Order: sequence, then structure tokens, then C-alpha cells
Amino acid sequence: MENKTMTMALFSGSLDKLTAAGVILSGAAADDMEVDIYVLMQGARAFKKEIGDNPDKLSMAENPDLKQEFLNSLEQLKVKTWVEFFREAKELTNVKIHICGLAGKIWGGEKLEDFVDLADDICGIGEYITSAQEADVHLFI
Amino acid sequence: MTPEELKELQVDKTVDARGTACPGPLLEAKKAIGTIDSGQILEVLSSDEGTKKDLPKWCTKKGHDYLGIVEEPGYFRVFMKKG
Repeated sequence: MENKTMTMALFSGSLDKLTAAGVILSGAAADDMEVDIYVLMQGARAFKKEIGDNPDKLSMAENPDLKQEFLNSLEQLKVKTWVEFFREAKELTNVKIHICGLAGKIWGGEKLEDFVDLADDICGIGEYITSAQEADVHLFI
Repeated sequence: MTPEELKELQVDKTVDARGTACPGPLLEAKKAIGTIDSGQILEVLSSDEGTKKDLPKWCTKKGHDYLGIVEEPGYFRVFMKKG
């Protein structure tokens, strides 16, 4: 049985949406899916090395006043941080993380080493479109 | 299999995912199944309600035999045979 493929356009750089992306990614990993993540706009900011897992530098997409409650609940429920979710998924299945070249530049990231070590390359939008056209599952988060 | 039969099973590996929320138990099952041989039995301990539906479906999809579930106070045990 050939593994299914998933392409994710990760536009969002907010704590809640990144966590949701991490949970979905875990499900894909448990299913041995081949995953390509294209990190766009706000997502690329979150992937900057100096931001990543630091909740002080990330906001919530919804209910921003409940950020601390959200973080406390995640800790109590032993839920991983979004970076840990992504890292674990990469260990379990074939996940490639591509940073959009334009988005990287917007946030001052020109080179791969400007981003958390999960990123595999910096790419152009054509690659994303091709990947989305061919994927079994396509998500925009 | 009935709960009585499951309790008598010779389990080859047990993973304790109690206290973790979804997707914790699923990921623990995924990691553990890779460490046992085809035909061996894996037991997953979980207290996450979603696991009860998640793991049987995952087993079917990945070609493992879902054997059943045993309720315990505050948690449950899910049994599967690696395909």
C-alpha cells in the first residue's frame, strides 16, 4: 500500500493554529503519510530561530485574552509545544518543511540557518502549487 | 475478544499513555508497534476518551488486528496484534 500524501500551506503563526497544525501533523505521522509543509507569511515569522517555541513572542488567532489559560491547559494535559509536535512528526514519517522565500525575507530571514532547525529548505511558490496539485490531502492553516 | 479473554492474553509490549491527551496515545501506539514483530501483541494504556475510537480505526487502516478493550478504573487497556 502506497503512503498517502499531504500538503499543508501553513500561513498562520499563532500559538493556537500552530498547535492545531501540530496535532494534525501527528495524525498524519501515525498514518505514515508523506507530508510537505509550505510555510507562508505569518508562519515564517514563527519559524524564525529567535521565535519558535517562545510563547511570549507568539499570539493567539482567536481569544487572545485567553492565551495564558490556553498555555496552562496544554501543560496540564501534557500536550507538546508546536515545535515539539513538528519535530516528533519528522522523526516518525517523511515530513519536509519548506520556508517561502518571500515570507522569510519579510521577517528578515534570508538563509535556512535563520529558521528553527526543522526547516529543510527555502523555496518558491511554484513548488507549493505542484505539491498541492498532486497531494491526496491539501490543507491551508 | 471478550474482556475476560483479553485479560488472559500474553502481551508482548505495553505502553502507558495515561495522562496524555490526543494525539499522545496514538503516537505512543505508532512508536511501539515499530518495536515488535508481526503477530505480537501490543497493549496501550490510555485515559483519553478519543483513543477508544481512534486506535481501532488506525489498526484497521495500518493492517493490524484490533483485539478489543478492557475498562479499568480511571483508564482503559487497548489490545492489538501487529499485522
